[in-house]
Amino acid sequence: MMPMRNLPLAVLVCVAAVRALAADAVPVKVSTDMGPASTRVVLTFQKKTACAVTPDPGRVKVTCDAAIAADPATGAFDDAILKGFAPEGDHALMFVPGPGYTRIDSFELKNPTRLVLDFSGTRASAGKAPTPPPPAKPLPIIVIDPGHGGVETGAVGPSGLQEKDLTLDLARRLKALLTRQGVTVVLTRDDDRILPLDDRTAIANHNRAVLFISLHLNASKRKTAFGAETYYLSTSATDAEARTLAGLENKAYTPPDAAAASTPADAAPDHGLELILWDLAQNSFIAESSRLAEAVQTELNAMTGVRDRGVRQAPFRVLMGATMPAILVEAGFISNPEEEARFKDDAYKDKIAEAIARAVRP
Amino acid sequence: MRAVVVALLVALVACGGGERKADRQPQAETAAPEAAAADSPSDAPMAAASVTLYFPSASDDGLAVETRDIVDTKRPADRGAQILAALIDGPKTEGALPAMPPGTTLRHLWVRDDGNAYADFSEELAMSGSGGSAEEIRTIYAIVDSLTANVPAIRRVGILVGGRQRETLGHLDIRRPLPPDLTLASKAKPTE
Repeated sequence: MMPMRNLPLAVLVCVAAVRALAADAVPVKVSTDMGPASTRVVLTFQKKTACAVTPDPGRVKVTCDAAIAADPATGAFDDAILKGFAPEGDHALMFVPGPGYTRIDSFELKNPTRLVLDFSGTRASAGKAPTPPPPAKPLPIIVIDPGHGGVETGAVGPSGLQEKDLTLDLARRLKALLTRQGVTVVLTRDDDRILPLDDRTAIANHNRAVLFISLHLNASKRKTAFGAETYYLSTSATDAEARTLAGLENKAYTPPDAAAASTPADAAPDHGLELILWDLAQNSFIAESSRLAEAVQTELNAMTGVRDRGVRQAPFRVLMGATMPAILVEAGFISNPEEEARFKDDAYKDKIAEAIARAVRP
Repeated sequence: MRAVVVALLVALVACGGGERKADRQPQAETAAPEAAAADSPSDAPMAAASVTLYFPSASDDGLAVETRDIVDTKRPADRGAQILAALIDGPKTEGALPAMPPGTTLRHLWVRDDGNAYADFSEELAMSGSGGSAEEIRTIYAIVDSLTANVPAIRRVGILVGGRQRETLGHLDIRRPLPPDLTLASKAKPTE
């Protein structure tokens, strides 16, 4: 059965190979990062390239639809999980796992095109493992998402304080606090750069995080607007989708009639079932997200003495698709001169981070 | 008042606010069939209808209510276009704030048989997401709540900018039509 199924792929690869002979090879930057029980390899392609990952006994092959030029071209590691890699032909890279290797996971990121390969396993048997052996129970991972970044500054306070800088500042403080409590924290960005909303939850999902916390600062035309509020996803929007989906399943999906495509929705290409299903992912965690939001809001109110703005729900794009409890914290209004001034004070920022840390402590 | 109503009606016809599909939509209000199917302004009833508009409240983070008279047209797309024109025109009381960034215009409004309306605004609307989520939420739900509260045929509203679908205006998912958020409107008290 498998050989039959592989045949079209093989033909495809051959066609791609012929076509790519004339073209220049796509430069691919290869970077590796060793974690406690995994080795992550990130292939960054200079232009859009599609690749297939084929795990075979003793090797993992990455075959691309264009000729590729890896930089560095080869790699050799003193590692029990991944021993090295080398090119195979001009379209493929061959990765050679070590004796501790158990599994490969891969996923793609866009802008620029990246292929992330996670080789999991154990280094316990390796005599000179770079890290201590992993504990019996894996540590919980919390992903913290500093809102906005890069040219997307977010809200800007009256004296010029930018939301993107403050969210990163608060995220780093929160990370430091939680790390001291034995929690592994991954930041979706740890520098000033633009990051698509989908990538933010993808990072949380991939790390199998137990919580996803997106940090933001608010702004309002009402200059007196003041205080922190915590959001979780409103399901009414996605409930409607669920009903639509049920309808689609019952009567079988009929593509929009081209002649009747009088609205942009009819013509929209991204209204696929898959997209809808993915957006429903967070719905399974709404009860836990609600409890988490309550806990965070209670701590924020108690610690900072800010007016209780309460827990609220809204269809925040960044929370959709998170496969774990997920909340968005609007830590305060930087449009309010008084509150903006507070956020310039390190002690106040620490108080905010401590309040959130108390609420999420496992 | 009458001059205003006539002007509105003329503007409405000039905008080509007609929507064939909307004509088939069952109406909650009673209307003479020939009036509901009217294509020329002279056939439309000249009566005024009172509608409830939701604007960002000046005193809290919810929405405030204002009432307006519009031309009592029965076609959902015409009715909706008048409501959005009034929202764009802005609040008339001190208790309410503008719902949309200055310069925002409505490019088109479609109302479909399935209860979804699609409102296409000029690029200025995207500015509502350039700050915090608080204003973005109020802009989006001023539009969604005002349309769904006054046009029975509209149950959800899709928001487009410059003729194109967008993922967000900054924070909220607007890839698909949104139902109203009654928690924002329930705080609202008439400000008149």
